[in-house]
Amino acid sequence: MKKIIFGLIAIMFSLSAFSHGPTPQKVQESVTIAASPQKTWDELKNYDEFKKIMKVRSFKDNLMKAKYELIEKDVPFSDYNAQIRVKKGANENESIVQWTARFYRTYKLNPPIPEGQDDATAVAAVKKIVGPGLEGFKKYMESQ
Amino acid sequence: MFNKKKSSIFRFKFSNVFILTFFLFFLYFIYLDNLKKDVSSKAYITNQGDNTVSVIDLNALEKVETINVGIAPLGITILQNKKLVFIGNVGTDDISVIDAVSDKLINTISLGTAPLSLSSNSNETEVYVTDWFQNNVLTISVEQMKVINSLKVGKTPSGITFNKKHQYHVITNRDENTVEIYNKNYKLVKKIETGNHPFGVYSNDDFIYVANVYDDSVSVINLVDWSNYSFLVGAHPYNVRVQNEIAYVTNAVDDTISIFDLHSKEIINTIDTGETPENLDLNSKLNLLINTNWGSDSISIFDLQNFQLIQEIKTGAQSRSFGDFILH
Repeated sequence: MKKIIFGLIAIMFSLSAFSHGPTPQKVQESVTIAASPQKTWDELKNYDEFKKIMKVRSFKDNLMKAKYELIEKDVPFSDYNAQIRVKKGANENESIVQWTARFYRTYKLNPPIPEGQDDATAVAAVKKIVGPGLEGFKKYMESQ
Repeated sequence: MFNKKKSSIFRFKFSNVFILTFFLFFLYFIYLDNLKKDVSSKAYITNQGDNTVSVIDLNALEKVETINVGIAPLGITILQNKKLVFIGNVGTDDISVIDAVSDKLINTISLGTAPLSLSSNSNETEVYVTDWFQNNVLTISVEQMKVINSLKVGKTPSGITFNKKHQYHVITNRDENTVEIYNKNYKLVKKIETGNHPFGVYSNDDFIYVANVYDDSVSVINLVDWSNYSFLVGAHPYNVRVQNEIAYVTNAVDDTISIFDLHSKEIINTIDTGETPENLDLNSKLNLLINTNWGSDSISIFDLQNFQLIQEIKTGAQSRSFGDFILH
C-alpha cells in the first residue's frame, strides 16, 4: 500500500515537473504612497536601497519609469529584469508605485527539475525582494 | 400568325429571364464582394499567465472573444485560407486548434514535449513546431491533425518560419547561436552563426532576419549568396518583422520598437510600447503594426503611416503570441 502511495506521489511530482515549460515568471506588486507622483518619482531616482540591489538601466522621466537589472548573481532565479513605475493615485497627493519583475527559474534543461531550481523557488525568492523593497520605500517616503 | 405571336412572346420572355438571371448574378457578386470586405482582420493573442487566447477585432479595435486553451500558451501560427489557428501550449505539451470563423476550440493535438513556436507551409497542409526540450522540429499533418514527422535540429530550437519563395524552413537555435535552413525535404541547406541568443525570426523573398536577444542586434542573412550583416537595436530584441524594406523590432527590456530602414541602414524611429513588448505582426490591409505587451497584459496598435499609437487594448495575463498572430 505504501509503495502504491509513494508511486502515485512520484507520478504526480513528475507530472507537475513536466507541466513547467520555458515560461518567464512575473512578480508584480504595488504600494500607495502619500506623496505626489512627481515627488515620489524624484525620490525614487535617488533612493539608495534599490541601487544597492539593482543596477539602473534607464530612467524615463516622461513615463516615470525606471528599469533595473540585478547586481547579485548568486540567486535562485535568472535573467532578472525589473521596472518600477510611478502612477497617479486617487488624488494629487497620492501616488502608486508598481514593481514588475520578469525572470526565469535557474534550471532550463529537460525535466525533472532539481529541487530549489524550479519556478516556485524563483518566484518566492523574487517576492522576498519586491514586497519588503516597496514597503521600505513607502516608509522612507512617508517618514520625510 | 398565331405561331409567330407565340414565338415572339416566348422570345420576349426568354430575354427577360436572361436579363433577370444576369442581374441576380450581378447582385450576388456584389454581395460576395461585400461579404469579403465584412470579414474583419483579427489578432489572436496567447496569454501565458491565464491559459487563454484573446481575439481582437482589428476593424472594431476591441476584444471580441476569450478562448480557453491548454496550459501556458505561447507560440502561434495561422492558416489564412483554411482559417485555422494553431496554438502551442508549453505547460500541457500540446497544440490547441481554433476555428477562426466561429472562434471555437476544435481540436487538441498531443505532442508530449514543449512546443515553442509554429509555422506552416504555403499550401497549408502542414504545421511545423519547434520542440524546445528534445531539439526537434515536428511536422503536423493538418488533414490528420497529428504528428507525422520529427527532424533533429540544433540546441533549443526557438523561432521557426517558412520562406515561401525558396521553400525553406528557417530555425533559430537559441543556446548554440545558430540559424539553420532546411529545404522542404528536411535536408540541411545551411547552418549559419548568428549573434548571441537568437530568438525571433522572419523571412521573406531572399532574406532572413534574426533577433539576437543578448547582443541587442538583428542579423540579416541573404539566402542567395549567404552574405550577412547585423544592425543594433534597443535592449533585448525579441522578434522582428519586415514590410516594404522597413524592419520593425521589439525591444523587450526597453519597452520600445525600433524601426530600421534596410536601404539606408539606419534607425528611422523608436516608438514606446506597453511593458515588456515581446512579439509583433503587421497588417497591410488596415496599415497596422501590433505588438504584445507581456508586462502590461495588453497589445499596442500603431498606425504604420505615422507610427502613432492608435490604441492599447487589454488582453489576458502575460500576453506573448510568439509567431504570426494576425488573421488578415
